[in-house]
Amino acid sequence: MVAIKRQSPVQFKVSPRNTEVRDNWTVALEYDEEGRGPWLADLAHKTRWDLQDSKVGEQRPCDLAVPATPGSCTFANDTLVNRMNRTQTSVYHLGAAAPALPDFAGYTDVTESTVFLALFGPKAFHIAEKLSALDFLDPAKQAPFLYQGPFCHVPCQIVTLEKAADGSGGFLLTCSRGYGDSMIHAILEAGSSLGLRPAGENRFSAWIRGLQE
Amino acid sequence: MALILTCPVCGKRNGYEFRYGGEDKGPRPAEAGLTPAAWCDYVHMNKCTAGVLKEWWFHRDGCGSWFTTWRDTTKNLEVAQPEASK
Repeated sequence: MVAIKRQSPVQFKVSPRNTEVRDNWTVALEYDEEGRGPWLADLAHKTRWDLQDSKVGEQRPCDLAVPATPGSCTFANDTLVNRMNRTQTSVYHLGAAAPALPDFAGYTDVTESTVFLALFGPKAFHIAEKLSALDFLDPAKQAPFLYQGPFCHVPCQIVTLEKAADGSGGFLLTCSRGYGDSMIHAILEAGSSLGLRPAGENRFSAWIRGLQE
Repeated sequence: MALILTCPVCGKRNGYEFRYGGEDKGPRPAEAGLTPAAWCDYVHMNKCTAGVLKEWWFHRDGCGSWFTTWRDTTKNLEVAQPEASK
């Protein structure tokens, strides 16, 4: 019997120092010389769902409330629920566990059809400003919040999880799988002068834990 | 001047994020008694107003919504709905 191997849509040029096989994904835990930030982490292995229903506001994915307003997010228990529009919500599972898809026809597992990246650390938004006209540091918006718009000219869902006026903080980004390599190339190129380096899941998890404390 | 449009889901965004969907021509005509000429007019003929016009737009690079808004075609600026059309 041939073992299943799930492949991330993005590849960094450097190899990770530590990896782990989880749910048929090879997960990079740590890279050599990750530096002091900013960091770019490949999170393709994190489970993501789309939820669509005419009464999506009444659904409770993972016991969390779906926000009432498009662009708003609920973040708790390592799970992020993002209201997209009147009928759609995206759900990101940021913890190590991969929960089973609920037994409801409105859910679609989109884990393997999308790129999923985290760009975080000092000056993370200085890199984002080079690649998108969206205003991530809008003082009127309170993190976490969802943008649906172009990043590197590619339609993306972007969730800002933390932001500060000095451009530090971080966000998650998803787009169609086919854009993976181009997206990585553009982001690393834009961040090269600011010391952007690939980071493993350990560093991402530490950041997420800090946000929820 | 760059066009800024107001998406009902995402708010004000750069016009380059949107695809033009044509003039808003009102509801599709009833099929009973519809002549080919009248149907052809509905599908193909436009008013091409020099001034304020109600149009369809698609938020292609964003949320994927189709919506209507008002634009002054002489200035290429989104404007409020004219009082006369309310």
